[in-house]
Amino acid sequence: MVVLTGRTIVSALSPPYPYGPEFVGQFMFAMRLCWFPLLVSTIAFGYEAPGLQGANFLVLFGALDRLGGFFVLASIREFAPFVDAIVLAGVAGTAITADLGARRIREELDALEVLGVDPIKNLVVPRFLALMLVTGLFDIYALLFGIFGGVLATLVNHAPLGPFWATFFNNASTTDLWGSVIKTTLFGAIIAVVCCYKGMTAEGGAEGVGRAVNQAVVIAFLAIFAFNYVFTQVLLATHPALTTIVR
Amino acid sequence: MNVTGSLETFGDIVVFVLSILGRLANLRVFRHFGEVLRQAGILILSSTLVIWGLVFIIGLQCGIEGAYFNRSVGAPAYAGVFAAWCDLRELVPLCFGYMMAAKVGTGIVAELGSMRISDEIDALEVMGISGVTFLCATRLLAALIVLPFVYLCAIGAGFFASYLAVVQQIGDVSSGGFFLIFWEFQNPPDLLYSLIKAMAMAIIIVLVGCYYGYNASGGPVGVGTATAKSMVFNIVAVHIVGMLGTQLFWGTNPRAPIGG
Repeated sequence: MVVLTGRTIVSALSPPYPYGPEFVGQFMFAMRLCWFPLLVSTIAFGYEAPGLQGANFLVLFGALDRLGGFFVLASIREFAPFVDAIVLAGVAGTAITADLGARRIREELDALEVLGVDPIKNLVVPRFLALMLVTGLFDIYALLFGIFGGVLATLVNHAPLGPFWATFFNNASTTDLWGSVIKTTLFGAIIAVVCCYKGMTAEGGAEGVGRAVNQAVVIAFLAIFAFNYVFTQVLLATHPALTTIVR
Repeated sequence: MNVTGSLETFGDIVVFVLSILGRLANLRVFRHFGEVLRQAGILILSSTLVIWGLVFIIGLQCGIEGAYFNRSVGAPAYAGVFAAWCDLRELVPLCFGYMMAAKVGTGIVAELGSMRISDEIDALEVMGISGVTFLCATRLLAALIVLPFVYLCAIGAGFFASYLAVVQQIGDVSSGGFFLIFWEFQNPPDLLYSLIKAMAMAIIIVLVGCYYGYNASGGPVGVGTATAKSMVFNIVAVHIVGMLGTQLFWGTNPRAPIGG
């Protein structure tokens, strides 16, 4: 997989660049597949974990207005990126593995190589770039709907929204937002590499493609969470200003 | 987004699930109890470590977020509250659901799908063994036997990871202080609710996996597509079950040892 990552990056940067139409196709494909599951998932998650439980905790102190501040931590820094990554890996990543695996089983990839077409440049690179871009952009989308979940939780508790937004914007920082977008872009790269690798190395007939999808999504999930832990740790430790709550 | 198609698929899934539950209810599945035990063994050997691994990572994550958050409000000693709620109530069930969907759900689709493609399920029917009973109901029963224990151990892994992150790594609070708050903010009913939530997810995932695998068509490519589709359904289902569970169990009653 490391070799594939290296070859993908080199191949993406070195001319010629024949992958434009495929890139656009993959981009639209991932967007079309993911927008609805992501919408449902982020609203549900935002309402559930930080929304209801956070509100439960804050209501005890009569400090529900601080929920907005809590959402900066919960939504921007944590759950929007990883729900985004989980949905992209589970929906777009599995589709990519199934697609490439099917091409491997039907020997289309071998045929491409015989024709002198580099499968990495023409198949992997566009998927890699498209998934990076889609995951990064969908992070913003996940953020918006996650915060919508928080708004719902505030309304369910019969609290006004003004204090929610006030503490939210007091605590929101550009570093958090950039950290979130960079993190998800890298998640997209991880998902693309794992899923393309597993798809391109699928073998063993009917069971092979299914098993490749299975392994791809397991590896992608573990890699996402491990990377998320390291990234959050580094971000929090190197930017102590992020963890001070403005009142 | 093809609404009619999605609704039709959903209806098919419900019908299929009812037929599996019927086999479980009239105890016909116990004719294949050996197969149930074999599936339970496969589940234990192949899936538990991955599930615990993912839950362990999310426990670390909850720990550091909780420690930094409580430091920022000036109450680092209370990191245990965040760890207890984050682990037990929300993220361990969700991560259990994610990993069940990824490892067990897609695994079932791949296995049953390839059996369907290579006509093995038809061969079973010819031999007079019901495919739904022998393949799907046994897997569901195996999951019901094994997964509660797997899940309880997963909670343990999450707690251990949070302890490591909060006490050993960040170190704002002593071990005793952490555990005082940590155990104060949870009680056995919470554990039971969390278990119910996770089991609801697991049952849905196994049943959906059986549906997509059992009804796969279209050659090797079809198996891959069915696997990918099951993942879409399962991710949405996991989040919705999580949300409804939280609303039901903790929505009106925070179950905390302070306040009202």
